[in-house]
Formats: sequence, structure tokens, C-alpha cells
Amino acid sequence: MLIFMFRRFGTMVLTMVVVSILVFLLLEINVESVAIKVLGPYTSVEQRNLWLERNGYFDPAILRYLRWLGNFVIGDFGSSVRFKVPVSDVLWPRLANTGILGGIALFLASLIGLTLGVIAGMREGGPRDRGVSVSAILTTSVPEFASATFLLSFFVFHLGWLPGTSGMADGFDLRQLVLPVMVLVIYDWGYIARMTRASMAEVMTTHYIRTAVLKGLPYGQVIRRHAMRNALIAPFTVIMLQINWLLSGVIVVEVAFGYKGFGALLYEASLNQDIYLIEACAMVAVFVAVMTQTLADVGYTYLNPRIRFS
Amino acid sequence: MSKNKELETINGKPLHPGVEELCAQYEGGKMDRREFVRLAAFLGVSAASAYAFAGDPLGGTLVKEAAAQTPKQGGSLRLAMQVQEMVDPATFDWTQKSNQTRHIIEYMTITGTDNITRPYLAESWEASDDLKTWTFKLRQGVKWSNGDDFNADDVVFNFTRWLNPATGSSNIGLFSAMTETVGDVTKMREGAVEKIDDHTVRLHLNSAVLSMPENLYNYPTAIVHRNFEKDGGDFSKNPIGTGAFELAEFNVGERCTLRRRSEPYWGGEVYLDEIRYIDTGEDDSAAIAALASGQVDAIYRLGIPTLEIAERIPNVVISQAVTAQTGCIRMNVNHAPFDNLKVRQAMVLAADNEENLKLAHRGMGAVGENHHVGEVHPEYAKLPPLKRDVDAAKALLAEAGFPNGIQVTCNVGNTEGSWEQDSVQVLKQQVAGAGIDITINVMPSAQYWEVWDKAPFSLTSWTHRPLGTMVLSLAYRAGVPWNESGYNNPEFDKALDKAESLLDVEERRVAMETVEKILQDDAIMVQPFFRSVFTATASKVMGYSSHPTRYHQFNGVWLA
Repeated sequence: MLIFMFRRFGTMVLTMVVVSILVFLLLEINVESVAIKVLGPYTSVEQRNLWLERNGYFDPAILRYLRWLGNFVIGDFGSSVRFKVPVSDVLWPRLANTGILGGIALFLASLIGLTLGVIAGMREGGPRDRGVSVSAILTTSVPEFASATFLLSFFVFHLGWLPGTSGMADGFDLRQLVLPVMVLVIYDWGYIARMTRASMAEVMTTHYIRTAVLKGLPYGQVIRRHAMRNALIAPFTVIMLQINWLLSGVIVVEVAFGYKGFGALLYEASLNQDIYLIEACAMVAVFVAVMTQTLADVGYTYLNPRIRFS
Repeated sequence: MSKNKELETINGKPLHPGVEELCAQYEGGKMDRREFVRLAAFLGVSAASAYAFAGDPLGGTLVKEAAAQTPKQGGSLRLAMQVQEMVDPATFDWTQKSNQTRHIIEYMTITGTDNITRPYLAESWEASDDLKTWTFKLRQGVKWSNGDDFNADDVVFNFTRWLNPATGSSNIGLFSAMTETVGDVTKMREGAVEKIDDHTVRLHLNSAVLSMPENLYNYPTAIVHRNFEKDGGDFSKNPIGTGAFELAEFNVGERCTLRRRSEPYWGGEVYLDEIRYIDTGEDDSAAIAALASGQVDAIYRLGIPTLEIAERIPNVVISQAVTAQTGCIRMNVNHAPFDNLKVRQAMVLAADNEENLKLAHRGMGAVGENHHVGEVHPEYAKLPPLKRDVDAAKALLAEAGFPNGIQVTCNVGNTEGSWEQDSVQVLKQQVAGAGIDITINVMPSAQYWEVWDKAPFSLTSWTHRPLGTMVLSLAYRAGVPWNESGYNNPEFDKALDKAESLLDVEERRVAMETVEKILQDDAIMVQPFFRSVFTATASKVMGYSSHPTRYHQFNGVWLA
């Protein structure tokens, strides 16, 4: 098990290094363009050269990369061009905000998805299964920008029940989270439900379930004790995958509702070519992706009784 | 019973303050009946009562009792606008930044929503006959929020700082008549700004500049305290100003709150207690949603695509500013086939600007006349209307050596909205009949700004400038940096020189006729329309009207 863990974390670090090289090559290798992004297009060549020299941009690329990587590791991401503050001052609070939004959405989507998935999978082809499957396909087929617009027009413009944006300008307000969470859950629960349903349906056809039913165990107990324990292993991976999606996939939702999260920050940074902020966001997003994958793998191994390291 | 009593708004809310002015313009014969009804309807006046009023233009003023209420003190005005960094006012590159600081630090002059520039921190000014020496008398009794007196040292400090290349301010281009270039470096000419006494400053220019007062209300020309640099050079950390408000809270990307200063304001009574800018992100529709749900009282910008949504929100007033903002579909005369005058004339002749305005901008604006000067400019001279003639355009193309027509590509970056693309699309359809086949190349706005001055054929958005001569000098004089059409006509430059040397508006108008005519005849652009810009406010916001450049002026605003 320990060797397995080491190997997984080793792969994770290697992936991060490869990605960091890619990010560096894409954004930092052309020093002239770095200077233009930082100082603006209307600066003179003389001003840019001065700045480049002062910041060590005329050093060999490999040296610059190592220095850049070293700064990243210790959490020094440089200064945001657009916000004129250190990148970490804006990055961490925004990441925390997305954590709140994503966490609530993930919890609700998992709760609804798992419950309905189990119910649907209990009797494959039954009316409940059909109902859940069709609605899952329907809701996951609607892109977030469409459901965001639809929910906005209904709950904000038509009924006037909910606030239209979620910037939390006057401090935390749960009501402002309703619409963004709703959009995310509508989009996401179906994936989890369908995976759970498939897994559940498969388990229900196994011999041990048939045996359990035949030996006269109450149906509820068969589902709870025997079917669910095995059926919920596969959805675990799907849920872990959603964390990754929730981090960068929420851009649309955060922009639509003016939510001050990581996705909106990445979007704003890209639109304004805020180079150091883009780099930091990219590295953080990749870190979370690789980390959740590693955790999913380790967790799956731990949960699945068929995989054991002795 | 007088007519004004009969004027009603659609939802029974108070009349928009702009209605009064609209009425004055109509009565003064500055717009026709149709235009009046259209604009009045736009400001929330019911069509029936607007028609009733317009039926009898002598029926009195439009001031309804509600609009003539005494302003109420207090309250917080909340606006949806991006909250950006505001470290150095001299290097501002977005209007939003200047709006955040506009009620803390102030300008020498102020250009109102009526496009007229008036004295502000400068009490008065005087220009020499050759327009090369400008003397500004500064207002006395103005105090900085740290207790210091505002005086000539502040103004001298600001000019010196703007024109120091190390500052990196775009003002160095704006006041180029005060600079000299030594080697590669452009900096302030020795003695260009002179302190006469504590409240008088004189500027010495090396060429005539007509628009000095207007230039002093450009967004990066706010006057900061003379110790700005000594105090750290970061306005957001040390916000000393002469304005009626002080900075109470600032969180970049989230919110910026201004609170009314306790000491009396030099400019008279100010009604609001607080101005709050709330960042709702990059998406304009999020701002509309915030307005609809009462999270904000006003929004920074209302684009054509969201206009219809805003019109349906109850208790929201839309205000329109007629501006000189425009999209010029210009042809670069140094690139084939546009080096041929006949090709350019054919393009212009086949275009119908009025139809373009209707289709691409819902008719909201003024028809362009292909010379970049509009009715909103004080010196605008009316030329005979343009007539579309597709057959003549075809014949011209044949004469130019293209009997089978031409194929050209037009770049568009939608830098100010999707109406840009729509405008080129309309042109494409219009000129197709003449044998001109336009391929539209839509590119991201950041990419567009990399090619805007190099491309043979493209639509560039130009912002509003108070005087007609200002943009002509920037964009059409031979060899100037922003001359995107490569236009070079000494005759035009001479005519523009003459117009720019005349301080008297009526005299200048006569001179402008020649300028406009030369530019129009040389057919370097199809300039379909000047677009109106919009904002929306909750109906409780009183005394607010849209500014042509979206500059916020809230000293007279109050909440009902």
C-alpha cells in the first residue's frame, strides 16, 4: 500500500512539473510579450528593457524557470497587473469562495444523485428508473449558461424572489447562493445519478443479491446491507471527478451571477492578460485536478475490497 | 390645465430629469416631433402623453411636480461597476477607475452631460490669440482633505508629473504641445508650466491647442495633492482629495465605498451620504440582474443587447446620452484596392448609413456622414445629405478597373459591443449589389488592438470627444500615431489648422465645413452612425443623467 501511495504521489509531482514547464513555455518564454503584458502596449521599448533587466528576464531560460518554479513552491506568485496587489492576496480568498459554492453544490448534487441513482437502479427498467434516467439526461443536457439565464429570468425578473447577483457585497448571504448552487446541482446531479444507477443495477443482478433475496432477507436490508455497499464504490470516483469540474467549470456560473470565485478570477485574468494571475490560477487548477485524482485512486483502492495490498 | 400636467410616465413614476431638457430642445427646434416622442418614450414618458405634448410644443415646460421636488439629503447610492485598482490616477486606462476616484479628487474643468466644458478647480481661463498661451485662475478656498489649501503648486506638480516619462501617463500624448523629444525620450519642455502666483498657472505651448479645457477633463487628468509621491504614490492607500467624498472602503475586484466628508464642500450642497461601487464582474447581464432585484440602484453600462431586458424591469429608468462615440469602417489608403479613390467612393456610395443605424443599433444614435464630426459637437457644420446610389457605385468600380467587382476582408473586434459586427454585416449586404464582396473577419478585442492601425480595412470604435476637431487631429492628420487610414492630405491639414485656431464657435463652424467636406470627398471611411450610450437607474435616483463618456457626476444626485 505504501509503495502504491508513493508511486501515485510521485506521478502527481511529475505531472505538476510537466505542466509547470508548459505554463512557463507558453507564457514566459517570450520576454518581450511579458513586458508588454505587465507594462501595457503603449510603453516604449526602452521602458520595457529597463523593466526586463531589473526583473532578471535577460538571464538564461533554464535559470529563469528554476527561479520561477522556486517562487511558486514557496507561494510567491508575483504581483497581479490588473489588481496591483500580490497574486496571493486575491487568489486565496477567491479559491475559498469557490470552495464554499462548490462544496455546497457537490454535497447537494451527491445527495440527490446518490439517492435517486439507488432508487432508479433498484429495479432496472421500472417506472422510477425511467423517470430518474430521463430527467437526469434532460437536466445534464442543458448547459449552465442556459439554465442560469432561465432561472434568473424566472426567479429574479419574473417572481422577484431571489437576488440577481451573488457578489456578497454586504457580507455573506445564503440567499445569494441559491441560484448558483441550483444551476450547478441541476447540471451535475444527473451524472452522479446515472453512474450510481448503472452500478446499482449491475449489483442487483449479481448472485449474492439473488441469494440474499431467496434466503428471505427483508428487501430493504438486502438493498442497504448488500447492494448499496458495493454499488457506491464506482460513484465515489465520479464524485471526486466533480471537484475538479467544480473548480474550473464554474466559470460560467460565477460570471453569470457575479460570484467572486476562482472561476471568475481566471476569466477576468485571461481577458485582461494578467499574466502572473493566469499562471497562478493555472497551476492551482492543475494541482487540484491532480490531487483529487490521486485521492480518488487511493480512496477507490481503499474502498474496493477486491483490491488489497498485503 | 397646462400640458405638463398631462405628461405621464409609463408606470406612474416621477419624470426622468432628462425630460425637461428634451422638452427644451424640442421647443428650441433642435429636434423634430418624431425624435422627441421617441426619446421621451425612452425616458419613460408614456407615448400618449408625449404625443399630446408634441402636438402643442408651446404647451409649457415638462417639469412635473414630482420632478420639481426639493432634493432629499442622505442615502447610499449603489452602483454596479467593475472595481479596479486605483494606485495612480495619472496612469488610469479605464473610465471605471476614474469614476471610483472622481468624487474624491477633482479636475480643473468639467464637461457636463450636455457636452459643454465649464470651470471647476480652475475658476476661469484665458487663451492668447494664437492659442499657445493658456492662463488658468484657480479657485480659492478649496481645501484638501488633509487640511492643506489647494493652490498653484498642486497644478504645477501634476503637469510636471504627467509629462515625466517615468510616470508612464498617457497625458504625455494629450499635452504633446508642452513636450520636447530629446533622442528617444519625450519629456516636458523646460518652462512649459509656469506658476504666476498662488492661484494662477500659465501653460506655454509650442503649437496652438484649442481643446485645453476639454483635455483637462480627460480621465487621467484628475489633480492629486502636491505630496502625492512623497506620501507613497498610491492613491488607494492615501486618498487625499478636494472632492465632497472620501474613501471609506476599498477592496479591489469587489467594492469601493465613498463617504461624504463632514466638512463643508467648496462646490455647495451634496445630497448623498455614500456612493457604493459594487463589482458584478465582466458580464453586463449580471449588473442588470442586480438592478432588477434591487441590489443596486444604477448600473455603469447598458448595451444594446440588454436594453430590451432593462426596458421591461418595473421602476427602472433608462437614460440615454447622445454622443460622438462611433465605429468607423475605415479604408487604409496605402493598401490596394483602397489606394484608388474611385474604389473608396464606390464603397461609400453603395452604403446607406441611416439603414445601418436602424439595423445595427436599433436607431439609437445619429446618422454618420463619413467625416467623424457629429451634431453633438459644437462646431458641427451640416453638409448636404448623402445619397445611396448602387448603380453609380458599380460604374465607379468599373472605372477603377474592377468591372467584375472586388473582394475585401474587413476586420472587426467588437471592442465596444456586438453592434460593431452587426454594422459591418449591414454594410456587407448594402455594398454586395455594387459588386463589393466583404468577408468579415471577427477577432477577439485584444487581438484587434494589435492590428487596428495596420489592417487595410476594419471597423474601429472611437470614443466621444467634446470637440469635433479633437478626434480629427488625432486620427486624420498626416503622420500622427493614430492615423489608422494612412490618410495624408496637406489641404485637409491646412483647413484643420485654420479651424483649430478659432476660439469662436460660429467662426469655427464655417471653417469646419471645408474640413468635413474634404474628408467626406476623400471617402476614407464609411462611418454609419454616432451611437447613443445608455445607463439604467432605479426610479428613486433623481438628478442623474447619462454622460457621453460614462463619467459619473453625482454631486447633484439624490434619492427620493
